[in-house]
Amino acid sequence: MSEKIITTEKLFKRYPVGDGEFTALNDINLTFDKGEFSGIIGPSGSGKTTLLNILGSLDSPTEGRATVLGHPISSLSHKEAAQLRNKHIGFIFQVYNLLPVYTVFENVEFALLLQNRSASERKKEVMQALEWVGLENMANKKPSKLSGGEGQRVAIARAMVKRPDLVLADEPTANLDAKNAHAILQTMKKLNEELNTTFIFATHDEKVMGYLNRLIHLEDGKVAKDEIVTAKTV
Amino acid sequence: MIKFIFKAILRDKNRSLLPVIVVAIGVFLTIALSGYISGMLGDIVEQTARFQTGHVKVISKAYAENIDQLPNDLALLGIAKLHEELNADYPDYTWVNRIKFGGIIDVPGENDVSKGQGPAMGIAIEIFSKNSGEVKRLNLVNSLLSGKIPVKSGEVLLGYEFADKLHVKVGDELTFMGNTMNGSIAFAVFTVSGTIRFGNTAMDKGTILIDFTDAQQILDMEDGTGEILGFYKDEIFLQDHALKTAKSFNAKYANTTDEFAPIMKTLGEQNSMGRYLNIIDSITNMFVFIFIIIMSIVLWNTGLIGGLRRYQEFGIRLALGEEKGHIYKTMIYEAVLIGVIGSVIGTILGIIVTILMQTYGINISGMLKNATMMVPTVLKSKFTPQLLYIGFIPGVAAMVIGNMLAGIGIYKRETATLFKELEV
Ligand SMILES: Nc1ncnc2c1ncn2[C@@H]1O[C@H](COP(=O)(O)OP(=O)(O)O)[C@@H](O)[C@H]1O
Ligand SMILES: [Mg+2]
Repeated sequence: MSEKIITTEKLFKRYPVGDGEFTALNDINLTFDKGEFSGIIGPSGSGKTTLLNILGSLDSPTEGRATVLGHPISSLSHKEAAQLRNKHIGFIFQVYNLLPVYTVFENVEFALLLQNRSASERKKEVMQALEWVGLENMANKKPSKLSGGEGQRVAIARAMVKRPDLVLADEPTANLDAKNAHAILQTMKKLNEELNTTFIFATHDEKVMGYLNRLIHLEDGKVAKDEIVTAKTV
Repeated sequence: MIKFIFKAILRDKNRSLLPVIVVAIGVFLTIALSGYISGMLGDIVEQTARFQTGHVKVISKAYAENIDQLPNDLALLGIAKLHEELNADYPDYTWVNRIKFGGIIDVPGENDVSKGQGPAMGIAIEIFSKNSGEVKRLNLVNSLLSGKIPVKSGEVLLGYEFADKLHVKVGDELTFMGNTMNGSIAFAVFTVSGTIRFGNTAMDKGTILIDFTDAQQILDMEDGTGEILGFYKDEIFLQDHALKTAKSFNAKYANTTDEFAPIMKTLGEQNSMGRYLNIIDSITNMFVFIFIIIMSIVLWNTGLIGGLRRYQEFGIRLALGEEKGHIYKTMIYEAVLIGVIGSVIGTILGIIVTILMQTYGINISGMLKNATMMVPTVLKSKFTPQLLYIGFIPGVAAMVIGNMLAGIGIYKRETATLFKELEV
């Protein structure tokens, strides 16, 4: 029944530091199934972001293989990597990173603009995505008028509007209070269940962990533990 | 996408205002300055052509060698035949006679006491001949301060400051004394028909203007003239064509040893006018060149600062699946849009100022009270169609070059490195 959408084999990422090297990811072997709601957890500096960026084709491994949605990350050209992100991967970051000159609607629309979708289609999809996150009434607001929680919801709508197969969320709750953190987690969990979108988090936030079905513990670039857990239901 | 970029430019004043202002100022300065330069130098060239050199000039070879001394003893003779030849061979020009001469003016007062006296620079032109176009060419009607243009023999126009100095008004008589072509005394009585502002300090202070036939008679120059000036029929000087005309004319008289044989000189070959003509072109080019370089450097830097402020934006766009190359391309589109906006503003302002300067000018005659040089007393600009693009193209080019340079750094960086730098 389960469909593998990500596999990594003997994945290493090393950075040159001074005369030597620093190993940020050390022999990562993982698979992710479609529809997972899982998290890479570990202390700061353990390699979570590095791994997420490789899975998102923003970075490539020094050694080993990462296959994402059938694409070998190391051998993608710039163009192919951009295409992969554009069509299939949504990102959510710690800071919600909206473009300040554009309205909420336009920020979400931007993702579709890169896909050359028609104006009427864009409008329909953007309004749908804003509805998912409960912000359909804020479409014409500028990001500066939004609260942190609202901003992060727009970021979720922007990641979801193209109905990606995979959403990568790097510390999405780090700047939110508990109430807002729970709210956006519930939103994402709901979307995960309704659309069967795969979510992978990088986090060290206990609140997030409560929602996850799988915890991959990273320590100094190594997978220390990979466990299936029973998550809170929404 | 272009619409999206345009929205951002309009909304993000911080991003677009500075470059727009920089481009607009640069374009404005380029246009205003080159309009002013072509106005000023063009004015000098035109004035000189109209009053002194013609577009081409025919004189005797001997006269040519002593031209600064008004050597009417070396004048051209047999000009009726020469005119026939010129009109037949070079019909693009209007050929007119002029005589320049010097002398003393005396204004007789009551009881034989002189009311005023002074040296005069005389110019004789074909006022009475309808075909010469001289009255119009020298803008005499508009330059009249009092009186009228001479209509019969014995009437004279005076530079207005000269008239003031001599204390004469319209209708007064004055006497002229000088030398005939043959060196004997020339003497004539004139009636002042009008005073004139030539717009040139030296001429306003000491010139008398009479009809050519009067001068021929007084100076004993029957069938002779000091100079024959050729003007293009549309009054627009064509450097290369004029040189060809002169070459062909002079070839006919190349083998003669007669020092009174005619020789033709173009505007560019007289009074250092050639230098002026070249300067107009090269100064304008230099301005444009310097402007592009300076603006590019300024805009490169504003582009870099703008780029740094926008790292976060580029990061988001990369993550959304936009290609680096596309981001770079949109930066260039933006530069083109901003360059066009700035250039349009700068061009409009520049042209408004140029046209104002062309229409009204700035009168500097006060500053030139003692000048004896042939300098226009009104600073004027000149609108030429060239001004429409002379600032516009460099404005857009500078903005695009500046942003291309600024963007290269971003473009060359690896996506991963870039993204890390962009991370917050
Ligand atoms: N470009 C780089 N050069 C050198 N070291 C790096 C670079 N990027 C990340 N690192 C190091 O790799 C380790 C893992 O970083 P990161 O993946 O950001 O950790 P996390 O997201 O878990 O906090 C850190 O020790 C970090 O300093
Ligand atoms: Mg991190």
